[in-house]
Amino acid sequence: MKKYFLSLFFLFALGTAFAQNQQDYSNNATLAKRIKALADQNPQLVKYKSIAQTVGGKDIWMLTIGTGKHEQKPAIAVVGGVEGKHLLGVEMALGFAEKLIKNAKTDSIKTLLGKQTFYVFPNMSPDATEQYFAKVKSERSGNANPTDDDRDGKTNEDGSEDLDANGKITAMRVLDPTGKYKLNPDDSRSLILADASKGETGKYILLPEGIDNDKDGAFNEDDEGGVHFNKNSSFNYKNFVAGAGEYAVAEKENRALFELLFDAFNVYAVVTFGPVNNLSTPVTFNPAGISKRIITGWFESDAKANALVSEQYNKITKTKDAPKTQAENGDFSQWAYFHYGRLSFSTPGWWVPKVNPDTARKEKKFTNEDPTAAYLRWANSQGIANTFTPWKTVNHPDFPGQTVEVGGLDPFVLINPPYKMVDDIVTKHTNFIVGLSAMAPQLDFVNVKTEKVADGLTRITLKVMNTGDLPTYTKIGDRSYFLKKIVVDVAASANQSFVSGRKVQSLESIQGKDHKELSWLIKGSGKITISATSPTTGSKSIEVIL
Amino acid sequence: MKIKQTFLLASMLLFTSILKAQDSKNFLAAVGTPPNPKVQVSWNRYNDYTAITAICKKLAAAHPNLVKIESMGKSFQGKDLWVMTITDTKVGNADKKPAMYIDGNIHSNEIQGSEFALYTAWYLAEMYASGNKTIQSLLAEKTFYIAPTINPDARDNFLHQANTPNSPRTGMLPIDNDRDGQTNEDGFDDLDNDGHIVMMRRKNVNGRYKVDPTDSRRMILVGNDEKGEYELLGSEGIDNDGDGFVNEDGEGAYDPNRDWGWNWQPNYIQNGAYKYPFSIPENRAVVDFVMKHPNIAAAQSYHNNGGMILRGPGAIEDMDTYNAQDVKVYDDLGKKGEEILPGYRYLVVYKDLYSVFGGELDWFYGGRGIYTFSNELWTGYSMYNKPNGEDSQAQLYSFDKDLLMKDAFIDWHSFKHPTYGDIEIGGFKKTFTRLHPGFLLESDAHRNMAFSIYHAYNTPKLSVDEVEVKDIGGGLTQVTAVVSNQRMIPTHSSQDVKNNIETPDIISLSGGTVIAGMQVTNRDMNFTVEQKLDPTNLKVSNIAGNSFVTLRWLVKGGDKFTVTVTSKKGGIASKSN
Repeated sequence: MKKYFLSLFFLFALGTAFAQNQQDYSNNATLAKRIKALADQNPQLVKYKSIAQTVGGKDIWMLTIGTGKHEQKPAIAVVGGVEGKHLLGVEMALGFAEKLIKNAKTDSIKTLLGKQTFYVFPNMSPDATEQYFAKVKSERSGNANPTDDDRDGKTNEDGSEDLDANGKITAMRVLDPTGKYKLNPDDSRSLILADASKGETGKYILLPEGIDNDKDGAFNEDDEGGVHFNKNSSFNYKNFVAGAGEYAVAEKENRALFELLFDAFNVYAVVTFGPVNNLSTPVTFNPAGISKRIITGWFESDAKANALVSEQYNKITKTKDAPKTQAENGDFSQWAYFHYGRLSFSTPGWWVPKVNPDTARKEKKFTNEDPTAAYLRWANSQGIANTFTPWKTVNHPDFPGQTVEVGGLDPFVLINPPYKMVDDIVTKHTNFIVGLSAMAPQLDFVNVKTEKVADGLTRITLKVMNTGDLPTYTKIGDRSYFLKKIVVDVAASANQSFVSGRKVQSLESIQGKDHKELSWLIKGSGKITISATSPTTGSKSIEVIL
Repeated sequence: MKIKQTFLLASMLLFTSILKAQDSKNFLAAVGTPPNPKVQVSWNRYNDYTAITAICKKLAAAHPNLVKIESMGKSFQGKDLWVMTITDTKVGNADKKPAMYIDGNIHSNEIQGSEFALYTAWYLAEMYASGNKTIQSLLAEKTFYIAPTINPDARDNFLHQANTPNSPRTGMLPIDNDRDGQTNEDGFDDLDNDGHIVMMRRKNVNGRYKVDPTDSRRMILVGNDEKGEYELLGSEGIDNDGDGFVNEDGEGAYDPNRDWGWNWQPNYIQNGAYKYPFSIPENRAVVDFVMKHPNIAAAQSYHNNGGMILRGPGAIEDMDTYNAQDVKVYDDLGKKGEEILPGYRYLVVYKDLYSVFGGELDWFYGGRGIYTFSNELWTGYSMYNKPNGEDSQAQLYSFDKDLLMKDAFIDWHSFKHPTYGDIEIGGFKKTFTRLHPGFLLESDAHRNMAFSIYHAYNTPKLSVDEVEVKDIGGGLTQVTAVVSNQRMIPTHSSQDVKNNIETPDIISLSGGTVIAGMQVTNRDMNFTVEQKLDPTNLKVSNIAGNSFVTLRWLVKGGDKFTVTVTSKKGGIASKSN
C-alpha cells in the first residue's frame, strides 16, 4: 500500500540476538533489570519510572521513549500484562521497547523517535504474573488485594492445592453419575461436555485441582488472586463478580495507569497485548451500537481507521487463523476506545496454530471443537512434550469412596508459546507498531493563498490538512474534554488587525487525509505567523507575507 | 501577671453566672428545641469551612459521650473532610449499630445542605443532653455519621469569591472546558468589584427584552409583536483568553455527583463525569468511609433546590435495579417525608427529574444496598406557603420586596465594558433563588432533620423474641428461636440479597453441642431447611421489615441457651431461655 512500510517492514528481519539470551519469560526482578539496563544504556532515548506499587509490593513500570519534549509529540501507548496469565503480553511490550531502541541509529527509527513518543507499560499485573515462577505453577489473573471472591465474608479461604505434587495446578476429574463431562473421542486425554440433546451421558465432574477448604461445595472459588486488572476498567464493568473489585477502577494498577493516560493528551493510539484481538479482524460498524445513550459499538469513521490498521497488521505480522475473541467485562482495550476515546488496537500476539491431521501419525480430522485437543496435536507436531500430565488417581478428602484423578494440560501453555518462539513474535509486532506510527495524524498547511483585496487589506486562505492516515482524534472522543482540539493561532503584530476571521480558534477533529479551510481578512502589512497545534499532531506553523 | 489572671478568672466567673442566670430565669423553652444548648449556633446564616470545622469541634468537645469527629480524608486542596459519629457511646459499639449517613454540599453552590446536616448533629446532641427521651433512645439504638460538607474547597470558593447562585457547582480540580489546552483561563469577572456576579444588559432597540412594568428590576421577554429595549449578555465577565468567547472556561466544571461507581459513564455520555468512578478525591474519601462502615443502612445527601425528596434510579437504564419490595419501603418513607416537609414532593430521579449516570444515591443503593434519599432543599412554596411559587419568576421579586427588604437584588447600574461598551449590571445575589433566606433556614433544617430521624428510626431493629427449649428424647434438646425485625427497613435490601453485597445475618446458638441446625419456614407444619455446614451459626439472607424468621437447633447437653443475632446493617441482639 505505501512505500514507507516496505522499508520498515524488513528493518528487523535480519534478526538480532534476543536480549540477555533468555530461556524463559521474565519474572518481575528480571523485568526490572531489563528496563533499567535499557534506560541506563540509552539515557537520551529512554526514561523509566514506577507509577504505582501494587498491594503485593511490586512496581508498575512505565517507559517513556523518544527525544525532547515528549508530551508535545504524538504518542502511542503500549500496554502489556493486562491479563495476568498472559506472560507473552509482558514480553511483547518490553520487547518492543528493546528492539525499537536497538534500531535507534537507523535513519527511519531515528526520525521516528524525533517526531513521536512511545509510552510503554510492560506489565499491569505483576502480582499475578509472578505466579508463573512460583514453586507450584498456577494461572492467576488477580492482584494481591485480598478479596472475598465468593462473597461469603471470608477472604482467600479456598485456594488450589497441588494434589499430585507435580508443581502445577491442573485439573481433576471425578467419576460420578451426575458428571457433565465425557472423554473427547478425538483425544481421550481431554474432556468435553456431553451433549444431552444428542442423548449423550456425562461421566465425569471436572474441577480445578484442589480441596474444598471452606466446605461450601465449590472448589478453589476464593483463591489468593484478588482483582483482575482486565476486569476492573469502567467500560462494560460488571459488579459483584469474582475478580472485578468492589467498583470499577478501584485498584491501584488501574488508577495509576488511567491517571497517567488521561494526562497524556498526546496519545492518539493505544496498543494492548492482551486477550482481545481487533487487529487480525477489525471491528465492524454497527449502527445499533451507537444508537443508545451508552455507546457499545465503534463509530463508523473509527471503525474505518481500525480496518486500515488491521490491514497493515496482517501484512506486517503475517499472522493468520486468529480465533475470534470476546472482550470480558471491564476489559482494558475496550476502555481505551470507549472511555479513553483513543484508537485502541489489541492482539494476544500468539494463538495455538491450526495444524492439519498428520496422516503418518494416523491422525484424523477433529469432530469436536476442543482447544486442549487442538493444542496437543500442535504440540506433538512441534515436538513439545511434557505439557500434559496423564490422569492419575489420588485420594481426595472431599470425595470419599469415589475415583478422583488429577491430570490435564499445564497451566499457561494455551496462550503462552514456548519461549524460543517469542523473539520472532516480538520482532513482528515491533514492526507493526512502527508501521502504525507511520499512519499517525499530522498537520500541514496546504493551498496557502494571499489576495490583495484593497490597499493594505489582504485575504489569507489556506487548508489545514491532516496528512496522516488516522484522525487527529476519534469520533467517539468528539465530546470528551480529555481530547484536545486543534488550536489555530494567528500571531499578528501591532500594526495588523483582523477585519474578518478569528485570531484564535479551535478546530474539531480532522480525519486522515482530510482538511479544513480557513480564511482571514487582515489589515496591515508585513509578516504574519499562523500556527496549528494539538497534542496528538504536534505543532505546525507558517509565515505569510501580507 | 497575677492581677491579670485574677481579673480574668473573675470576669469568667461573672460571665458564666450571667449566662446561667439568664438561662434559668429569663427564658421559657420553646417546645421541640434544645432549651439550653451547650453549643450556641446561629441557624440563620451560612458557614464557611473554618466555621463548620469550629462547630463540629465544639460539639465534640461539649458532648464527649455523644459526638466524635474524624477526618474521612483530604479534599483536593488538602482540607480535612470532617465526619461526626453521633451515638450514645455508653450503649453498644457505634460501628455495630444500624446507622444513617448524612452529607451535604456535594454541589458547591448548594451550601445549605451543610447547615442542615450540622443542625441535625447539633439537635441530636443537645436534645439528648437536655433529657429528651425520644432522642436518647434513638441514640442508644442508632448511629449517625454526619459529614457537613464533602466539597469544602469549592464551598469556600462559593462563599468567599464573587459568584452567581449557580457557580461553582463543581469542585476545584482544574478542567479544560473549551479543550484548548488551558485550564480555568476564562471564568467570570466581578467587573464592578462588588463581590457579586450578576447579569449584564445593554440597551438595544432590536433587543428582545424589556423592563417589567410591575417591577423595574426584572427583565422580561417581549411578545412576538412587540419591540424590546434591551439585550441580555450573560453573567458578568470578559473574554479573558481572547478566543472570542466570554466565561467559557471557569473554575472546575465537572460534576461531583456524576462520579459515583454505579453505572458510571464517561463525560461524553454523562456530562460532568470526570476520569473514572471516584476519580474525585472527596468522593473517594466518602466511599472508603462507607466501605469501612457496613452498618450504614440509610443515607441522605442534601442538595438544592426545588423541594424534592429524591430516590433512585438515577438512570432509566437502571430501572430493574429497584424491585417492588424495596420500592415499597422507599414509598413509605418518602410519603412520610411529604407530610413532614410542606411543599416537598417525593420523586424518582430518572423519570421526574432527569436520567443521569453516576449519582451518589445510585452508588449507595446499587453498590451497597443502602436506602438513600437526596433532598433538594428550598422550595418556592415557602415564600408565601402556597404551591407553584417556584414556577413564577415574578414571585421572587415580590418576595424579595415584601419579606427581604430588597436585600437579595443588586440594582442595575452602568458600567463600561471593554468589549460590549456601555452596559448595565444587576441581578439577584448568589444567596438568593437557590438558598434559604435567613428566617426560613432553621425551620426547614428542623423539618429535614425530622425526616432523617424518621428514616434512621426505621433502620432495622432486631430482637430475639422467643427461645423455646424442648426435650425430644434420646438425650437431644430442640431449641427454637424467633428473631424479628421491628422496623420498616429490612436487614438486606433486595438489591443486596440479589448480589450478596453484605454477608448474611448470623443467628448463633451457645450452650450445648449443636448436632443440627435449620431455618423453620413453617413452624406449624414443620417445614425446615437444614444448614449442614456450621449449624451452630445459621445464615439468614435477610430479615424483612416488620417480619421475623424462625430457627431451630438440635443440641446435645446443656440446658441454658443463648441465641444471638448478628447483622451488619441490623445490629446485634440476644436472648437466653
